[in-house]
Amino acid sequence: MNIYRNKKVAILFMLPALVFVILFIYYPIIQNFIYSLYRWSSFSEVKVFVGFDYYKRLLSDPIFYIALKNNALYAIISIVFQVGVGMILAAVLEEKIMRRYQTFFRTVYFMPSVISITVVGLLFQLVYNPNIGLLNAFLKVVGLETLTHDWLGRSDTAMFAIIATSQWQYIGYIMLLFLVAIQKIPEELYESAMIDGANAIQKFIHVTIPQIKETILVTSIITIIGAFKVFDEVYVMTAGGPGRSTEVLASYMYRAGFRNDEMGYAATIATVIFLITFIVTLIQLKVSKEKNEA
Amino acid sequence: MKINKLLVLLLSVLLVISLTACQSSQPTGGTDQVEIKFLHKWPQPEYSVYFDEVVEAFMKENPNIKVSVEAVGDEPIKDKLRVLMGTDNQPDVFFSWSGEFAAKFVRSNNALDLTPYLENDPEWKNSIMEAGLEPFTYDGNYYGIPFRINGKFFVYNTEIFNKLGLKKPNTWDEFMTVLETLKQNGITPIGFGNIYPWAACHYITGLNQKFVPQEVRVKDYNPKTGEFTDPGYIKALEYFKSLNDKGYFIEGVNSTEHNMSNQMFYGEQVAIIYVELEEFVEVEENLPGKWDFFKMPDIPEGKGNQNFLTGAPDGFLVSAKTKHPEEAVKFLKYLTNKANADKLVQQLGWPSPIIGAVNEGNSPDYLVRGMKAIEEAEGMALWLDTDIHIKISDVYLPNLQELLNGTKTPEQIMAEVQKVAKEVQSEVE
Repeated sequence: MNIYRNKKVAILFMLPALVFVILFIYYPIIQNFIYSLYRWSSFSEVKVFVGFDYYKRLLSDPIFYIALKNNALYAIISIVFQVGVGMILAAVLEEKIMRRYQTFFRTVYFMPSVISITVVGLLFQLVYNPNIGLLNAFLKVVGLETLTHDWLGRSDTAMFAIIATSQWQYIGYIMLLFLVAIQKIPEELYESAMIDGANAIQKFIHVTIPQIKETILVTSIITIIGAFKVFDEVYVMTAGGPGRSTEVLASYMYRAGFRNDEMGYAATIATVIFLITFIVTLIQLKVSKEKNEA
Repeated sequence: MKINKLLVLLLSVLLVISLTACQSSQPTGGTDQVEIKFLHKWPQPEYSVYFDEVVEAFMKENPNIKVSVEAVGDEPIKDKLRVLMGTDNQPDVFFSWSGEFAAKFVRSNNALDLTPYLENDPEWKNSIMEAGLEPFTYDGNYYGIPFRINGKFFVYNTEIFNKLGLKKPNTWDEFMTVLETLKQNGITPIGFGNIYPWAACHYITGLNQKFVPQEVRVKDYNPKTGEFTDPGYIKALEYFKSLNDKGYFIEGVNSTEHNMSNQMFYGEQVAIIYVELEEFVEVEENLPGKWDFFKMPDIPEGKGNQNFLTGAPDGFLVSAKTKHPEEAVKFLKYLTNKANADKLVQQLGWPSPIIGAVNEGNSPDYLVRGMKAIEEAEGMALWLDTDIHIKISDVYLPNLQELLNGTKTPEQIMAEVQKVAKEVQSEVE
């Protein structure tokens, strides 16, 4: 009997992994959904069944929409800057003249992404400070005094200030992923493009981009999912304020569960976050499958 | 099918393993030593040393009791306590703020009723200020023992005040004149950091108390009967907002941290800060001899008692699930005895609610005077965020930032507060 063909043995070997996945991934997801149907706090003795009340409340909760909008903003801006600009940066660093300095710039751009988010958050809290902050001081020096602003303290700019910090931190990380992808493109493609008389920009559009499509897709998914899970930056820099203007889904979930003693509502928000990221992942799987088939 | 059986078998094996793992973590050792877990909120080395020393001395006197100490910071302990209360692994003695923060542990049957212990030991009970014990009562029973008692005061730079010929203001109008004079002379009057809105809520704590009649306020702060319809609440917000609108606060209050605004005071960039009694030590260190303090000025038109002081005790509760209540109370008694209260005052400069612990002999003058102000007050206005239901506080507080930014009016804010208060009424049984 050929042991490689024995399905039972194969399943037996898969079993430990399967059990762990079920126990630590699927079971909590289902449990979380069940929790969202009850009114309870982490220290209460009784759970009160409320059915889908929390879902109804969520749909009419203005803060939920603020959070959703902020997450969407986060995703869009991150795609433009991290994926878009990160890709361009990578292409520039791969240019022949730049290659000599590539190691230096690679390190410089990558550095912020290894710093702890808390440290970066506190750092930028100071940078944005209207009294002693670097940013306003700089604006004053170059004569743009009219642009000085209480960046984190006003509702209109606080969210953008946080998102900007995130771009600063992660652009180098995404750039590095693109560098790896670009380096894998066969040199001949560029040579033949050159013979055809293509300039640098044409080479980028017609050779580089089609060749790194897969990476563009993956990095886009990473940033979108990351944008919907964002928590630390907001929590450290503004804790959701001023008012509720920088609340994101994760910080709202945290607040509901651990501050307002509404674990059921927190579980509801968690379910929504799960659904959103799950749908994004499904789209990714579908798109990449189509590509492989094409 | 076979696979099903296998799955069941494997799951049950896993279950058994995890169960036995839980069991083995139970205390072993055959001695009669009793272990009590003690959770406080001062992990900073300069403060935690006090607790370590007291615990060590206690264990030396009571060799049969082992106290294991854990310390978690001010913000994280708010979450940690909530989570711990849901488990069977509760600390036996744990820190809590007074007022609603402690009351919710009482309502969920997590706090032990300490009344019998206090009644059985009148000497202990009488050694504690009533102003410290009272905020820990619920339905007439005592659930907590105060550890510190804190008041909120305006601290000002005496040099600047003297130069401009200013005096401590007694009424709100005088206060306004002082602030205007400072501003006219190019000095930013008040350093105020409200990136975390508890800072604004300390102002509102006092203003609400001064504007709203006492019995109305007490009724509103009770989650079962809260309505918040008194016009005094709107007045309080208006008065607070005017401080910002008239330019008496620093620029960018909503993005500045409380500590940063304190630093501005030490750097003599601002003339006044609003701080707690426990921060006096720090002020004295940074601006020795050049400061004094006053309490929130009276508002004659306000309908609340003008002789109240903003502030509250904080202290310790005993878990209702503790296996060793006697030992836990014994430790608490030790922690709050006169000798250790003296030690607290001398070592950390913190105001103790044990009668006579703060006195001319052992404490700096400013602490004695601060304590005197607390003793003279006819009552205390507890921190708003720990005195009202957390869900109301969660609407109230962030809105104070919006108020300062001018994005919401006092009327809008109170309407939101009223709405959530109604919601809470129906949820609290």
